[in-house]
Amino acid sequence: MSDKKAINSAMVVGGGVAGMQAALDIANQGYKVYLVEKSPTIGGRMAQLDKTFPTLDCSACILTPRLSEVSRHPNIELLAYADLEEVTGTVGDFLVTVIKRSRYVDEEKCAACGDCTEVCPVEVPNEFDRGLGIRKAIYTPFPQATPNIYTIDMENCIRCKRCVSECQRDAIDLEMQDERLEFRVGAIVIATGYEMFDVSRYPRLGYARIPDVIDALEYERLINAAGPTQGHLIRLSDGKIPKSIGFIQCVGARDVAKGVPYCSRVCCMYGIKNAVMAKEHYPDAEVNIYYADIRAFGKGFEEFYEMARTRFGVNFFRGRVAEVTRTQEGRLAVKVEDTLSAKPMEIEHDLVVLSPGIVPPQDLLRLSEKLGVSVRNDGYIDVSHHYFGPVDTRIPGVFVCGCADGPKDIPDSVTAGSAAAMKATIILSHGGQSS
Amino acid sequence: MTEASQKIDTAEKREPRIGVFVCHCGHNIAGVVDVEEVSEKAKSLPGVVFSTHEMFMCADAGQQLIKDKIDELKLNRVVVASCSPRMHEPTFRRVCESAGLNRYLFEQVNLREHVSWCHMRQPEAATEKAWDLVRMAVARARQLDELPIKQVDVTPRTLVVGGGIAGLRAALDIADRGFEAVLVEKEPELGGHVRKWTHLFPADESGAQVISPLIRHVERHKLIDVMTNSKVAEFGGYIGNFDVKIENLKTHKTKTVQVGTVVVATGFRPFEPEGYYAYEQSENIVTLAQLQELPPRAELRRPSDGRIVKKLAFIGCVGSREPGKKGHEHCSRHCCSAVAQASADLKDRVDEVLILYQDIRTYGRGHEELHRLALSKHVIYSKFPREEKPTVHVDDDGNIKVTWTDVLTGDQLEFEPELLVLATAMIPPDDVAETANLFSLTRSGDGFFNPEHIKLAPLTTHTAGVMIAGAAQAAKNASESVIDASGAAAKAVGLMARGKVEIESTVSHVIPELCSACHTCITCCPYGAIAMDEEHDPPVAYVTEAKCHGCGTCAAACPSNAIIMYHSTDNQIMAMIEAYLCPTDMEQQGGN
Ligand SMILES: Cc1cc2nc3c(=O)[nH]c(=O)nc-3n(C[C@H](O)[C@H](O)[C@H](O)COP(=O)(O)OP(=O)(O)OC[C@H]3O[C@@H](n4cnc5c(N)ncnc54)[C@H](O)[C@@H]3O)c2cc1C
Repeated sequence: MSDKKAINSAMVVGGGVAGMQAALDIANQGYKVYLVEKSPTIGGRMAQLDKTFPTLDCSACILTPRLSEVSRHPNIELLAYADLEEVTGTVGDFLVTVIKRSRYVDEEKCAACGDCTEVCPVEVPNEFDRGLGIRKAIYTPFPQATPNIYTIDMENCIRCKRCVSECQRDAIDLEMQDERLEFRVGAIVIATGYEMFDVSRYPRLGYARIPDVIDALEYERLINAAGPTQGHLIRLSDGKIPKSIGFIQCVGARDVAKGVPYCSRVCCMYGIKNAVMAKEHYPDAEVNIYYADIRAFGKGFEEFYEMARTRFGVNFFRGRVAEVTRTQEGRLAVKVEDTLSAKPMEIEHDLVVLSPGIVPPQDLLRLSEKLGVSVRNDGYIDVSHHYFGPVDTRIPGVFVCGCADGPKDIPDSVTAGSAAAMKATIILSHGGQSS
Repeated sequence: MTEASQKIDTAEKREPRIGVFVCHCGHNIAGVVDVEEVSEKAKSLPGVVFSTHEMFMCADAGQQLIKDKIDELKLNRVVVASCSPRMHEPTFRRVCESAGLNRYLFEQVNLREHVSWCHMRQPEAATEKAWDLVRMAVARARQLDELPIKQVDVTPRTLVVGGGIAGLRAALDIADRGFEAVLVEKEPELGGHVRKWTHLFPADESGAQVISPLIRHVERHKLIDVMTNSKVAEFGGYIGNFDVKIENLKTHKTKTVQVGTVVVATGFRPFEPEGYYAYEQSENIVTLAQLQELPPRAELRRPSDGRIVKKLAFIGCVGSREPGKKGHEHCSRHCCSAVAQASADLKDRVDEVLILYQDIRTYGRGHEELHRLALSKHVIYSKFPREEKPTVHVDDDGNIKVTWTDVLTGDQLEFEPELLVLATAMIPPDDVAETANLFSLTRSGDGFFNPEHIKLAPLTTHTAGVMIAGAAQAAKNASESVIDASGAAAKAVGLMARGKVEIESTVSHVIPELCSACHTCITCCPYGAIAMDEEHDPPVAYVTEAKCHGCGTCAAACPSNAIIMYHSTDNQIMAMIEAYLCPTDMEQQGGN
């Protein structure tokens, strides 16, 4: 035991499913947790998903209880729309500076009634819907956003002040400033998740050139009841129902030339999930998956893959797609060699969905420098040892979970979140010593 | 905790003021069920003073609406028609409580799993069913009673079952955090499979290098009580208060301990591939686990005569990924990466290495690199068709011949390895059913234990207070098992650090005056929660509430009608049946 006064609090950076789990498991032991999330809401990528493999429960349905659990937890202080600015100190006693960006809406006063959005004249593409839908300049990303507070996106705000006069509670203040806050914490958990690989880096696959070539996250939003089309799966070019859909796997994964040599772990399964969902929408549609290896390795995954093949009639073709082109009739021609029959093929679809690999968030390097932790060649946080410290960074007192140290599915992210919480609380219970 | 009967608060028998909230769940419900019609019709039901429909009842706005209406209209019953109570009953109960309403005055109707999802193509019939269910719920709500909120203490000690890498890690984390752990291992030594492996794949360490420091720390830790050669013989009690009888398998002596939480880390067993690929016909056909146990030497020697191996082959998915074959349908997860590394390592010592595979699943951190390393060392990967497995023939001289179709070229190929390694499945240990029974755990298709929720609660189980970790939960590698173990430890510590846990009041109760002491309930209770109260004159049956799971079996079986099943009383159930059978009566009553 050290003689310094034990600090009974920890900080979790990133409020996705991994960070929320870590926060809950620390808070449930009676310690205080500061949960720092850079976007206006916690929930992470999972909030954007429609259904989740391997059991197809709807993502929002299982996530929402977690969101409210976190926001109501007496030991968790949510710092959303905030960035970690600076860290000093060492294990057991870190001093962290956090910048809480101004929402231009008073968090205490806002009741999320939505009156402001109604009168806002500015419409911009909604990032949450991957730009497929629109939102106003004053917005919440999605109905279950947590904390449920509106945010003004100043880049697009035209300062017409209609919202200011509409708001019954006087919650809007266009002059509001960023806040600089300091916290003393004994341990830190990094749970910053991932971003999507930019699939336009494969021009031959047609993304950004051909409107009916979309990526998997756009697809998730398209089939989501709360999404931009209210769940109608249509072609973006002409609004028609696709009778034939192709899913192309490993776009920006297992590709040394593109700087993504690793396997992204989730794309096979979400690709299969998306194909099954297409069949659920349109049972008569032709649905093909073009893959390199099907990696259905988690609990219940292989069984789900088998079900997609046999019960749902999804077709699987093993082969890397060479090119996607637009035919004169406006269909999409997929050129691929089916390596199983060794035949070059050209198959026409109405909609093509690229399944991108996942990559570390752009600002992860900066964050890692602030914390002094190392990142590997692939850009993810390095862990100290496969067996002795699978959720430990090389800096004592700083832990990592979820996709921050490499791609993971939800069960693995959640498990790592709990494990990181365990390690952090061991530190807290010893006043800074690891054990 | 009191064993006394729960007093029903008759004050709550006040005139019911029911609020009905029908949820769209985006399009999940509203896409099929006419939620507006249902909520409109509900206004006519007796006792209903408010009824509406809303996009997401579980979102903050929906929750706030319930609270506001409880305040504004003095609602004393709340019915939410949304999803499965397994999803949101805790959410809505909490909302009611925060507005001052006892949680047992809340009633949930499942319009999603029970209606919209299963009758997706029959919107009219679905709406009719939704209306039936809402009507029944309202009828039940009228009969609901307040029940007390009860807490029990949590004994600050964890039972860890299994002393493999996961069990060791879990015990160590719990102890490092300041709580006691009792570690029970049936073998004479700690360390599980990992201890036996001269090489861990994929890793750069031997099993001993990884496991020995862990064992050392565990054995020296003053908060960990290690019991080897031992098994849990009896397990009883309830969350926070489990009674465990541990038996020494050698001396047959038993010891009883009280624990508050449990981590089951009983691991796996490598599948013995009898009947596969001529396994029994040659000593030179071994499993991956056996290969991992071979003594580390400069050269690879075959088991039969110690001759140096020049040609080595691996076959993947042996006993895994077999659709329709019970217990063998799952992917065993660790093997592809293990084979990639083993082949890359061994290629330096042998001339030729062949790997026959179905898919290459080198998914983990650094695993894809191992696969590439193997390829760069000219390990030959060849894919065989899923419908046509390779065949293995052993001739009279003991020579092994593997024949298969390479799917990529379509060619029939042959290879004669001196050593053939079968990457066999991870399957549950022999005594898994016994363990499942002991701790009331369910098992999934792969034979391993079922978690509470496959995505969001992978480490807890349906037995409150019992966690699972490592390969006991599913096939996985040692590094992943370590992460599980720390995670499961966090769950156990979470309960112990709080020191108290709430338990359900939906339990049964024997009315002593009506009990005829026939013992029927005692025999039929699946949880051993009912016993005779010999102190009572005359002796009658009584229920240990913390052990009761609220299944209601006793109440149904009691010939004297002496058992009340709280929150599923006869009145409540009869009211639902009546509401279903006589819909118009009910509407007329309410519509006056
Ligand atoms: C198309 C697609 C479909 C998928 N489908 C499934 C599925 O069906 N089933 C399944 O199991 N998995 C699925 N996954 C994987 C799943 O999304 C991830 O397992 C999960 O989201 C990982 O959680 P996380 O918390 O690690 O990361 P994230 O969900 O990415 O959350 C990270 C959070 O950290 C925040 N953040 C990032 N940087 C900072 C910073 N510097 N400071 C503060 N906050 C920061 C982010 O804003 C975000 O809220 C899918 C993935 C994709 C791409």
